[in-house]
Amino acid sequence: MQAATNIQTGPVSMAETKPKGRFNSDLTQVWIGVGLIAITGFGPVIAGNSYWIHTFQLVNIFIAAAIFQNMLFVDAGQKSFGQGAILGLAAYVTAILYGLHGWSFAAASIGGIVAAMLGGLLFALPALRVQGFHLGFVTMSAAIVFPQLLVTLDKWTNGINGISVTVPALTNPFVLGMSPLAIAVAVFPMIALFVHYGIRRSKLGRSMFVAALSPEAARSLGIKPGVMRFVAFVIAAVGTGICGILYLPTVAFVSPQGFNIELSFVFFFAVVVGGRGQMLGPIIGIWIVYILPNILLAGFVEYRLLMYGCLTLLAVMAFPDGIVGSVERLRAKRKQTGGGEQAFRIDGFLADLQAGKTAREPSEEIAVEVRNGTKKFGEVVAVSAVDLKVRKGEVHGLIGANGSGKTSLLNVLSGLSRLNSGSFMINGVEATNLAADRIANMSLGRTFQAPRIFSQMSLWDNLKIGMDARVGPASADITALAKAMEESFGQDSATLLSHGQRRLVEVMRTVLKEATIVLFDEPAAGLSQSERTNFANLVKFLSRQMGKTVILVEHDLDLVWGIADTITVLEQGRVVSSGKPDVVAKDPAVQHMFVGSRHA
Amino acid sequence: MLSEILIIVIRGIAIGSIFATIAMSFNIVHGATNIFNFAQGNMFILGGFAAYFLANQVGLGQWTLMLLLSGLLIAAVVTIQGYITLLPLRSSVEQDSWLISTVSVSVIVAALLMITQGPFAYSVSSIVPSFRILGTRTPGAYALAIVAMLFWYFALRFFLRKTFIGLAISALSQDFDAARAAGLPVRRLQLISFAISGLMVGTVGFLVAPVISVSPDAGLKYVLNGFVAAVVGGIGSNAGTLIGGPLVGVVAMLTAYKVGGAYQDLASLLVLVLILMFRPQGLFGRVGARRV
Repeated sequence: MQAATNIQTGPVSMAETKPKGRFNSDLTQVWIGVGLIAITGFGPVIAGNSYWIHTFQLVNIFIAAAIFQNMLFVDAGQKSFGQGAILGLAAYVTAILYGLHGWSFAAASIGGIVAAMLGGLLFALPALRVQGFHLGFVTMSAAIVFPQLLVTLDKWTNGINGISVTVPALTNPFVLGMSPLAIAVAVFPMIALFVHYGIRRSKLGRSMFVAALSPEAARSLGIKPGVMRFVAFVIAAVGTGICGILYLPTVAFVSPQGFNIELSFVFFFAVVVGGRGQMLGPIIGIWIVYILPNILLAGFVEYRLLMYGCLTLLAVMAFPDGIVGSVERLRAKRKQTGGGEQAFRIDGFLADLQAGKTAREPSEEIAVEVRNGTKKFGEVVAVSAVDLKVRKGEVHGLIGANGSGKTSLLNVLSGLSRLNSGSFMINGVEATNLAADRIANMSLGRTFQAPRIFSQMSLWDNLKIGMDARVGPASADITALAKAMEESFGQDSATLLSHGQRRLVEVMRTVLKEATIVLFDEPAAGLSQSERTNFANLVKFLSRQMGKTVILVEHDLDLVWGIADTITVLEQGRVVSSGKPDVVAKDPAVQHMFVGSRHA
Repeated sequence: MLSEILIIVIRGIAIGSIFATIAMSFNIVHGATNIFNFAQGNMFILGGFAAYFLANQVGLGQWTLMLLLSGLLIAAVVTIQGYITLLPLRSSVEQDSWLISTVSVSVIVAALLMITQGPFAYSVSSIVPSFRILGTRTPGAYALAIVAMLFWYFALRFFLRKTFIGLAISALSQDFDAARAAGLPVRRLQLISFAISGLMVGTVGFLVAPVISVSPDAGLKYVLNGFVAAVVGGIGSNAGTLIGGPLVGVVAMLTAYKVGGAYQDLASLLVLVLILMFRPQGLFGRVGARRV
């Protein structure tokens, strides 16, 4: 009980006096976007101007495609230069099936969507293995190859002549002088906005985001980054495919020139100019990138590409957040909450969690066992024939000089790297060759030397990814804890947190995940003396009150000796001593470590 | 039949040598900056245009002088581009703006060429005569492509291992933070690496102009094939590009011969996807130790 009372020191003031501003304006932007799309979608019809009707139908289709590009680019971190080819693929396949083979439009559309999905799979398959600029090149070459194939495969595609189609059922007036097509074209971008917003608010969206920003953190939370990229590409392909199907009756004609790489660049550049990741970004972006050169400056059509390029370069140089992003930044700066010493205090939460429970001592069961484990990096042996037993519920300190193999061992245990020989078990289950996400799902959690905190997410969402990583349903305690934290931190920013607070956020993630084994990688580095004391109490709390097994890699020997039940000393990859703290302290093999320390 | 295949293979190796040189020009910039210059293909084509103008319009007789001038011109353009690309990286935490800026520069260069030169392919006369292999006339520029690849391979090898600036650039690619902490002028070294990459594609673009399509939209084809060559060889491995480039070239030529010229880019795309799926580190690349 000693530990728990210590944590409660310090004011527990969660009371907020003034209401917090929203952490981001996503929802507001969605509604503004819906309004803008409604004006351009329905306005020209009401005004009865057929030129603007047609123009804005195309603009709205492109907006929808750019929205999916935005999701793919920012939420999933995938830079695709090939979304125009996906749109074209769906339009072409639909045109071929409907126009040349006499399928019904509905059946042909399904064919178009399937084709778009297959195109997305071509992008997504390499995404399982690689990321970043590799995929940029893959998608870009697909966008180059696509129109070439349309020309070459003229047996099926009519080659350079293209395919003309009319779909009277869709283009004849339906209600209020609007055709079903006009309604679909106005409504689909709105649906796309809500889909994007919904994904961003979902567990899937958060997982995609974490996977994009920090693959190791994602894997340690049970997320497979490759699968996330794959899913993102397929979702974007389906959405963009629907745009292609709407394109067909709107333009009534498809030809290879309509789907060259320029189209893919329009979507990509629109997202950048409008504001990466902003809900409104693609709308404003398409208006500027597409409408400006094609309509207002229609006399200078040959300068169109030059304008796309210059606008985008200008955006990256002068306002990298894009137009909407720059405005949002000003707003967020004014409203930002979550700084200062009170920004992230967890003592109150832990007191609630601990209420009415008694302390537990470590059991004799083994939680983690390494047998003869060796890990090499080329010629360097980082971990050498290590045997290690960690009891359930104990705090196990791993100490040793820099380069002694502590972090390497931790990475092996969390599955981020594999042993070259030997084996290890977690809770009696063989885990030597399991991937990090599988090990994470065996109820293991970890922190990193540099805390993985994502400033684009609210403080609560940063914590919530721990809830997302759960394997089973949450216990009543944890549900209550999550609810309380959501109320406190739902609109806070994580940007202003101090280093120590960031560390605590990572720890609380593992608490929300209800990881039974927690690995800490140099948690005290960069913490102040009082933060260290608090941290030591927190570790005690995790072990004694919550029954977690803690493996602690740490240089601060005072801290380790203060809280560890067992200490293992590594030197050049080997275990040189292991046992109870007082025994290890007297071991002649480790005496040299204490030079200058009070244990000497 | 056999000799036909042999000729195709030889031409493939020659075309592939161009890809290999572009791949090496990727590597030096990537090593120093972690940037992949998407505009590199257009810079290469600019070298071709330089050949056209220097030979046909300006009428400089000395080809060595023209070669040097072409290389320096493109080096200057790429250095300016590099400076622009590196600018936002100085302050921003978000480090992928280079992807957007190099793509937009690529689009700008192609658009400028299109506006000023029109969409035509320019023909450039060769500085060396054609020669016979197995009874077939082969343009001399094919031989020059292979020579240029080997020249740049050995020149880079010497530069990166024996000169102070080269060693400093190697240091950047191995441990950026350590190199910065050691007081190396990081930004200047990065610009030098951009300049060298420009010199490479400028000279090669000049030399092989007679056998490539010198047109505004050809740049993308070369940037992609150069990238595929770099990936096949293993990114960062110049020795790998000596195999990767010719391999991609031979696949492209064989595809053109067996299936049709329009499928060349498709073949390169398939090679890229397959290698990324099954051996993402490339044929000669190493898997680096991960830092967590």
